[in-house]
Amino acid sequence: MKYSVMLAALGVLGAGTALAQQPPIKIGVLYPLTGGGAVYGVPAMTGHQLAVEELNAKGGMMGRKIESVERDDKLNPATASSTMKELITKDKVDIVLGGLASSVGLAMSEVSKQEKVVYISTIPKSIQITTDKLHKYVFRTAANTDQEGDTMAMLVGKNKLTKLCHLELDYAYGNDLEAGILKALPKYAPDAKVVLTLKPKLGATDFNPFIPQVMSAGCDGVISGLWGPHFVSWVKQAAPLGFFSKIKWISGGEIGSHEIAGELKGDYPDNVISNTYELWYTSNDPSHKEFQARLAKKLNTQETPQWAVLGYIGVMYAAAAIEKAQSTDPDKVSAALEGLSIGTPVGKLTIDAKSHQANIGQFWGPMVKKPDRAYRMMEPAEYIQPK
Amino acid sequence: MTLTMFTLNAFYGLALAMNMFIIASGLNLIFGVLRVINFAHGMFYMFGAYIVFTVTKSWGAPFFVGVLAAAASLAVIALVIERLMLKHLYGKEHLMQLLFTFALVLLMSDAAKMIWGTDQYSVGYPQGLGGAVNLGFVVLPQYQLFLCVVGPLIALAMWLVVDRTRWGRIVRAATQDREMLAALGVNVPMVYAAVFTIGSALAGVGGALAAPRVALVPGMDATIINECFIIVIIGGLGNLWGSFLGALAFGFVVQFGTVWAPNWQDVLPYLLMLVVLIIRPWGLLGRPEST
Repeated sequence: MKYSVMLAALGVLGAGTALAQQPPIKIGVLYPLTGGGAVYGVPAMTGHQLAVEELNAKGGMMGRKIESVERDDKLNPATASSTMKELITKDKVDIVLGGLASSVGLAMSEVSKQEKVVYISTIPKSIQITTDKLHKYVFRTAANTDQEGDTMAMLVGKNKLTKLCHLELDYAYGNDLEAGILKALPKYAPDAKVVLTLKPKLGATDFNPFIPQVMSAGCDGVISGLWGPHFVSWVKQAAPLGFFSKIKWISGGEIGSHEIAGELKGDYPDNVISNTYELWYTSNDPSHKEFQARLAKKLNTQETPQWAVLGYIGVMYAAAAIEKAQSTDPDKVSAALEGLSIGTPVGKLTIDAKSHQANIGQFWGPMVKKPDRAYRMMEPAEYIQPK
Repeated sequence: MTLTMFTLNAFYGLALAMNMFIIASGLNLIFGVLRVINFAHGMFYMFGAYIVFTVTKSWGAPFFVGVLAAAASLAVIALVIERLMLKHLYGKEHLMQLLFTFALVLLMSDAAKMIWGTDQYSVGYPQGLGGAVNLGFVVLPQYQLFLCVVGPLIALAMWLVVDRTRWGRIVRAATQDREMLAALGVNVPMVYAAVFTIGSALAGVGGALAAPRVALVPGMDATIINECFIIVIIGGLGNLWGSFLGALAFGFVVQFGTVWAPNWQDVLPYLLMLVVLIIRPWGLLGRPEST
C-alpha cells in the first residue's frame, strides 16, 4: 500500500514520464466498419475517436493515457460476441463500448455478463437490454425502443391519425419498437387502429411486395421503423406511385438525420415526421457548438453526421465512471455508473441507477423544404427527453 | 387478391426478374464457358451501381452515360483481372478458383471503401422515368416498365450473338472442347478473356440499372451474389434461357411469396431452389453433366 502511494507521488512529480510508464486504460469498442452497417458505424467510431483524442489531450484518465482498441462487428451478433471475448481475454480491455444493431447489442450484453466486464450500449435500442436481460455490467446511453415508441404514439395522437399501417423490420429492434408503440398507443391515440402490419426482413432492398398492400389498405398514417437504407429503398420504389402524397409517415430509426436528408436531397418525400439524436444546425445545449465545430474539423465538412455524438457520449461516460471509481475494476465502475450524471453536447444526462438507462432524448419534427438548401431540414426540431 | 393487385404484383415480379436476369446472365455466361464460379460477380454489380452514382451525381452526366460508364469500367477491370490473374487458374482445381474469386471480393470491397467511403448513396431516376403510367385499373411505375423492356432485349441480344454468329459458335465450342478448338487455330485464351469481360460488364449494367431503385450501401454485393447463384442453379448452369426462366421463377416467387407468406420471405428463394434441385438436379433447362 505504502509502495503504491509512493509510486503515485512519484507520478505526480514527473507527470510526463509517469504518463508514459503507467499502462494505458484500454477501451474496447465495436462498430460495424464494413458492410451495410458501416454507413453508421464509421461516423460513430469517428465520434468515439474524437472523445478519446480530447481526453488524452487533457492527460487521460487518472493520469493514465487512454488506448482505444477498435474492432469491426460486421453487424453480426456472432462476430460481435467472439470479437468482444477476444478484446477481453487477449487485449485485456477495461471496458467495452459500442454495437449498432439491437441483435449485436444483446449479444454483447451477454458476453459482458459472462465475462463480468462493463459494456455500454451506445446505439442498440432493444428494450430487452435494460429490462429482461438487464444485469450488473450493462448500461445504455442510447434511447430505447419503449421511449421511441412512446414518442411515435404521441405523434400519432397529435396528428389525429386513426387508420394506421405499421411497418417494422423483422428483428430485435423492429419487434421491440412495435411493442413499444402498441403499448403507448391507447394512451395518446385511443381512436387509432392498426389495420395492417408488415415486416420486411432486415437488409431488404426490394419493397415492392409491401408497397401495394399499404397503398390499398387506405391508411391515413404509416408508423415505421425502417431505418437508413431500408427507408431510402422504400422511398425510391414507392414515390413514383404518389405514395407519400396521401399519408403521414411517422418514423423512428433516425430518418430525420442529416445523413438521410442530405443523401436523398430532392427525392426526400413529403409528410415525413421523424427523429435524430443530433443536428448540426440545431442545439439544445451550449456545449454543442464547440463539439460540432471540432467534429466538423475532423470530418472536414460543416454538415456532420448525427451518429458521431453517440460514440462520443459512450467514451465520455466510460471516462467519467472510471474517474469517479478511481479504478478500472468492473464492479467499481458499474457502481460508479449507477446514477452518474455528465454534461454532453445534447445536454446533461443521468443514468438511472436501477434501469441502467440514460435519459437521452431525441430531436423530433417534420422534414421541410428550405428555399436556400438542396436538402430538407427538421423544423421545428423539438428535443423530447424521457421523464 | 383483386385484379389490380394481381397485375401489380405480377408486374413487380417481372421487373425484379428482369433486373436479376441481367446480372445473373453474366455469371452464367462466365460459368458456362470458363467453368469458373465467380464469387466476385456481386462485387462487380456493386461497382456498377457506385460508378453510376459518381458519374451522375459528382460529374452531373445523364443516367445512361453512367450506365455505359459502368459497363465500360467493369469491362476494363475484368479484362485486367483475367489477363493478370485469372488465366493462370484455368484447368486448376475448383477450390483454387473459388479461393481466388473470394479473395477478389475482399480486395474489391476494400477498394470500394477507399474510393467511395462508407456513406450511403442514392441515384435519382433517369429523366422521364421517375413517374408512373396510369392504365386505368392499375398504376405502374415507369422505371420498372423500362426494366421489363431492357431485360428481354438483353436476353435476345445475347441469344443472337451466342446462337447466330461465328463468334458465338466459337464460344459454344469452347464450352465443349477447348483443346480441339485450339488445335483448329482459334485463339482460345482471347475467347476466355472476351467472355469474362462481357459477363462482368453485364454485372456492371445490372448494378447500374438497379441503382435508382435501391439504396447504395457497402455490402449490397452480398445478397445479390446468393440470389444470382439461386437463379443460375434453378435455370441450369451455363444455359442462357435457363437463367431467364430461373430469373422469372425467382421474381414471381419472391414477389407473390412475400405477399402471401411474409414470414417465409427469407427462405422462399432457397425453397424454390431446393424443389428444383429435387426434381431436376441439373436445373430447368440444363443438361445432366456427362462425366
